[in-house]
Amino acid sequence: MNTLSTEEMERFQKLSNEFEPESQRKGPLVSAKQSTNAIAMEYAGADPAFVAKTNALAVTHPFCRTMKGDAVAFGYFESLFNLRDTLHARNELVRIKSMNTYLDQVGHQEHLYDIFVDATEQVFESLCDAIHTGIHDDSFLVELFRTEYNSNAIITHFRLLTSAWMKLNPHRYQAFLPLPLDQYCATRIETVKTEIDEVGLQALVDGVIEPSGISVEILYLDRSQGEAVTPHLLTPSRPTASTIRLLYRPGHYDLAYQAEPTVHMEPVVNYQYAMTSNYSPWDQGALSFDVNSSLMSIPNLMIDPSFGLGAAPMTPPPPSPYRVSPPQEVFQPPMHTPPPPIPVASPPPPPPRMSAPPPMSSLPTRSNDGPQIRLNPLVMKPNLSHSLPVTTPFKNSPYNQAHFQNQDFEPIHWEPHDRK
Amino acid sequence: MGSQKRIAKELAELMESPPVGISVELADESNLYAWKVHLEGPENSPFAKGKFLIKLTLPTEYPFKPPTISFATKIYHPNVTNDDKGSMCLGMLRADEWKPSSRISAVLQFARQLLAEPMPDDAVEARIADTYKNNRSHYEEVARDWTRKYATE
Repeated sequence: MNTLSTEEMERFQKLSNEFEPESQRKGPLVSAKQSTNAIAMEYAGADPAFVAKTNALAVTHPFCRTMKGDAVAFGYFESLFNLRDTLHARNELVRIKSMNTYLDQVGHQEHLYDIFVDATEQVFESLCDAIHTGIHDDSFLVELFRTEYNSNAIITHFRLLTSAWMKLNPHRYQAFLPLPLDQYCATRIETVKTEIDEVGLQALVDGVIEPSGISVEILYLDRSQGEAVTPHLLTPSRPTASTIRLLYRPGHYDLAYQAEPTVHMEPVVNYQYAMTSNYSPWDQGALSFDVNSSLMSIPNLMIDPSFGLGAAPMTPPPPSPYRVSPPQEVFQPPMHTPPPPIPVASPPPPPPRMSAPPPMSSLPTRSNDGPQIRLNPLVMKPNLSHSLPVTTPFKNSPYNQAHFQNQDFEPIHWEPHDRK
Repeated sequence: MGSQKRIAKELAELMESPPVGISVELADESNLYAWKVHLEGPENSPFAKGKFLIKLTLPTEYPFKPPTISFATKIYHPNVTNDDKGSMCLGMLRADEWKPSSRISAVLQFARQLLAEPMPDDAVEARIADTYKNNRSHYEEVARDWTRKYATE
């Protein structure tokens, strides 16, 4: 298989470049969610690598959608809809619209791009209405994306944002491009029908999707060795409420869905930690631990991604000797800007945004009816003076620097197949 | 909807502050998709002093598909078909190179610039391109002659 001559390789490359999947020539812009067995059937007589991979895929990802339009944009809105959090969706609308400044910065004029933004906004409105009225059926979203005008306008909006993001962060992408970035954007990103390549996709994810907290993963269906599609996470490895899974076949992306029942899942906890400033009061019932004012007093605790979202929650702390704050008095976590940009194409460790914990003196001053935090005796030890108070929940956090002083300390290894 | 809104804005902008040598109007007040464009031949070209009428047609899918341009005034140019259509199809006007963020104004300026600087390698009229490349003075003579004949009142 590897002994093809250069000419043959070139011929195959040409055929591959010109290949249009059957699904691209007919059918709607967005298909209904369908059984992945259909894809397995399609490849039944193909190369054994495809047969094995599509059969395995049908088990791990029983559903898929074939996409003629933009899989990422649709997957993004579908994720927001399935998360069923109108506040999150509204914040996303604000964030996406605020990116108009990127467009202005790279020289686009609002009166030329506002119709694209309007189309995106309309999807947000329909989405929020649907969640609000308790609709679980996503067919309204499918219909929106099946309209040629909407589909084109939303894709164009996302493409313009991607292009602007790349132009504003050239150092992250230029090295991966075969031509100057401006030219790349003009001929590959801002055009209408060009299929996005990997660099463009990474930029779309970095600039537009990632700040939403939604993850994006590509499942490569190709002839490489192995029994299953090769997954590749485009967003940093992090706890995530939702993942867009793009099924890659040469030159094109469809959508795949895992077996997990994500569709009607209510969010366990308000997952918008560390995203923007717009925090809602914590809903006690939604938290997997007691809302305890002692815990709430610890700065940065709530932006620790391992906290609250972790699969194995910590044992709840013993009942506080002090009063439990009513929800409206609960400490509002401080505002945080999003993490600094992360270099492209490396599944990085969590960014070191916690490296400089605020000094003790920055603890919020609380009411006068007694101390709100019970300090652990270890806290005042000089060798720990640079870390935060070591309390039960914080002790388990990967951000606790005290771990480094433990002779048995071992960093957590990132395992690509070990995420779920 | 969005398409018409966008076209109306571009039309208003072009009527308010037209680029040098270009003026636009609707061919029919009730149809936003068909424009009449008056183009003055660029100074430094054999088309100088000529006034060319161009029909600009916008597809209903605009801005996701490019406008089309055709010369209603006969013109001797390698990139304009020498027939009753007078079509021009180049670069940014091709569907696969068209960007929805491009402006009609830029399209028209591009067309006018092309009169000053033809692109013989992308010619639709091979013979005119040949003359342009190999016998420039003859090309300029014919172009001037046609401009006098067809493009002046």
